[in-house]
Amino acid sequence: MRITTILGDMLRALVRRPMTQAYPAVRRDAPSRLRGQLHWDPEKCTGCCLCVKDCPADAIEMITLDKAARRFVLRYHADRCAFCAQCVQNCRFKCLSMSSDQWELAAKDKEPFTVYYGSEEDIHALLEKCAARADQALPAAEP
Amino acid sequence: MTETSRLLEQAAQITTPWGKSFTAPEANRLDVVIDANDLPAAAAALNAACWGYLAAITGLDRGADDGRIEALYHFCAGAAVAALRVTTPRAEARLPSICAAYPSASIFERELSEMLGVTFVGTPDVTPLFLPEDWSPDAYPLRKDIDLSQPNTVPVRPPPTNGENGKHFIIPIGPQHPALKEPGHFEFSVAGETVIGATVRLGYAHRGIEKAVEQRNWVQDLYLLERICGICSHIHATAYCLGVEKLAEVTVPPRAETIRTLFAELERLHSHMLWLGVAAHEAGFDTLFMAAWRDRETVMDLLEQISGNRVHYSVNVLGGVKFDLEPQHIDALLNGAAFIEERARYYFDLVNHDPLFNRRTRGVGVMTAEQAETIGVVGPTARGSGIVRDVRVEAPYLAYTRCPVEPIVETDGDLAARFSVRIRELLESCRLIRVLLETLPEGALQTRMPRRIRAGEAISRVEAPRGELFYFVKSGGGEMPERIHARTPTLCNLASALILSIGRPLADIPMILVGVDPCFSCNDRTATIHTADGSAEDETWTWERLRRYGIEATR
Repeated sequence: MRITTILGDMLRALVRRPMTQAYPAVRRDAPSRLRGQLHWDPEKCTGCCLCVKDCPADAIEMITLDKAARRFVLRYHADRCAFCAQCVQNCRFKCLSMSSDQWELAAKDKEPFTVYYGSEEDIHALLEKCAARADQALPAAEP
Repeated sequence: MTETSRLLEQAAQITTPWGKSFTAPEANRLDVVIDANDLPAAAAALNAACWGYLAAITGLDRGADDGRIEALYHFCAGAAVAALRVTTPRAEARLPSICAAYPSASIFERELSEMLGVTFVGTPDVTPLFLPEDWSPDAYPLRKDIDLSQPNTVPVRPPPTNGENGKHFIIPIGPQHPALKEPGHFEFSVAGETVIGATVRLGYAHRGIEKAVEQRNWVQDLYLLERICGICSHIHATAYCLGVEKLAEVTVPPRAETIRTLFAELERLHSHMLWLGVAAHEAGFDTLFMAAWRDRETVMDLLEQISGNRVHYSVNVLGGVKFDLEPQHIDALLNGAAFIEERARYYFDLVNHDPLFNRRTRGVGVMTAEQAETIGVVGPTARGSGIVRDVRVEAPYLAYTRCPVEPIVETDGDLAARFSVRIRELLESCRLIRVLLETLPEGALQTRMPRRIRAGEAISRVEAPRGELFYFVKSGGGEMPERIHARTPTLCNLASALILSIGRPLADIPMILVGVDPCFSCNDRTATIHTADGSAEDETWTWERLRRYGIEATR
């Protein structure tokens, strides 16, 4: 029976620097395999939607503007994403990847969580279409 | 396999008088169809012959066309699993209780009765298990025809009490309480400072995952089931994968098997170290708490480095694993294992030789091997009472078939024994990690999985850090499962904490509770009542008497 076993550890802890990290004052690089925000490269995408089908969190929407011309927009909901990387596994054309750098995703409102990927004109066309549809849905204004 | 087939033959012999049909869906399984009325007799015969233990009761709704509800009573002995299958009409579901032979069946029967609406005749406890108080008593969530678009709620019923109101002083703890790390509501009836009755009401973290998996495809379910628990996320996903891969008749590449096993052992390391910290904290030994959690970060960093995440590593995919091991990972793992091994030796020395700490653990919460068998405990809680119950040893799976595990067993049955078992398991896990890395096979990481899984039923049993995790997977041949049943180790172990707390001073309760390493979000099920009989003393104590008692009790 002895009581001194822990004392050595306690004394060593006294002279050692704190184990905690000084984040956010010091931002260390995340491990290279960290699964952060999803990225989509429209170049090779065929629009097969396998990523959408298996997403457990319903975080990916593939919007087809013109299937023949391969014009797609990917709408990604970072707030729903579970960061499991199943979509990355499913993609046969390596269009999807998860960033090891973009992981500070907190925001004060919901807007930054909806991310559009695709060519700029396609996103523009899609947003215009959405806006037009939203207008139609509104009840006719009184004259 | 000869031992397994011998056990199965024995089970068939025992149940012959009642068995209407005997089938072997897998090499290590035997399904015996019996008449519902014969159930207590058949269960009693298995119990009398000491054939295995009751691992789980799975309920299946066979749908309106079939008009029956089926219940599977799974008994496990070694690698052998024998199931007694009974059916009862859906319109008037009624089964006899087997609690006379297996007291541990009470929890499973209550789960079945509220989830599928089966009335158990002769069961000791019929209070709701994990559905909320305002859940309609006529809505059975796991029936296939339940209308989930409705709220299915009724005006709040009075919460269950232990029936002793007004007679004893009852100390309620939780569901939100600074001493509890997870939500649970406990009521301890006390006579002076001694606990004479204990009840628990859980379900505060119940999320209806078993129902939700029936509405998602096989791949999506992997991630949902992984989130049953944050600490043992990998082992839930592994149990599910093993079951589905068995059904699909897919063989996982050996390298993937080893990587899965490696993660399971890393998970055991960080889970046991988390437990060590929590247990030390409950004993008031906060230095050890801080030290254990500081050292645990080594494992978390390794997991993050290899998989990219600290908690939900998501290493598994159906048919293999996602992440490969690079040489730098192997080096980091070896260094990490050496460090943890050194620390584990130090902790072992510490918890066994610190006289103050030993006063909190030695002879506290003693559970004999017989008690452990009756309560049906699993994992380190059982191994602390001298029972060799470890799925990795009894029914090796994944890489454990190639790298055998040495079961860690202590015989004292007290809290100190549970500390020793878990700390020695840290050493064993470190040894296993080294062996796994030495024998890491080369080759592919994944095999192709079909999107539709062949119709059938599979059982997979794995050893989670807290004990045996039992999965039952049933496919109807489609893209979604028909039924998945997960029986988590805490469900088996929690009853032991309540039974062991009776007769102990209140101050020992946090330690006894934490001794089984309860995981409420894994378990989230029970409300059990245990009262010591005839222990009611004088009900009014004077201040002087209480003071004197306090001094004497802790002398």
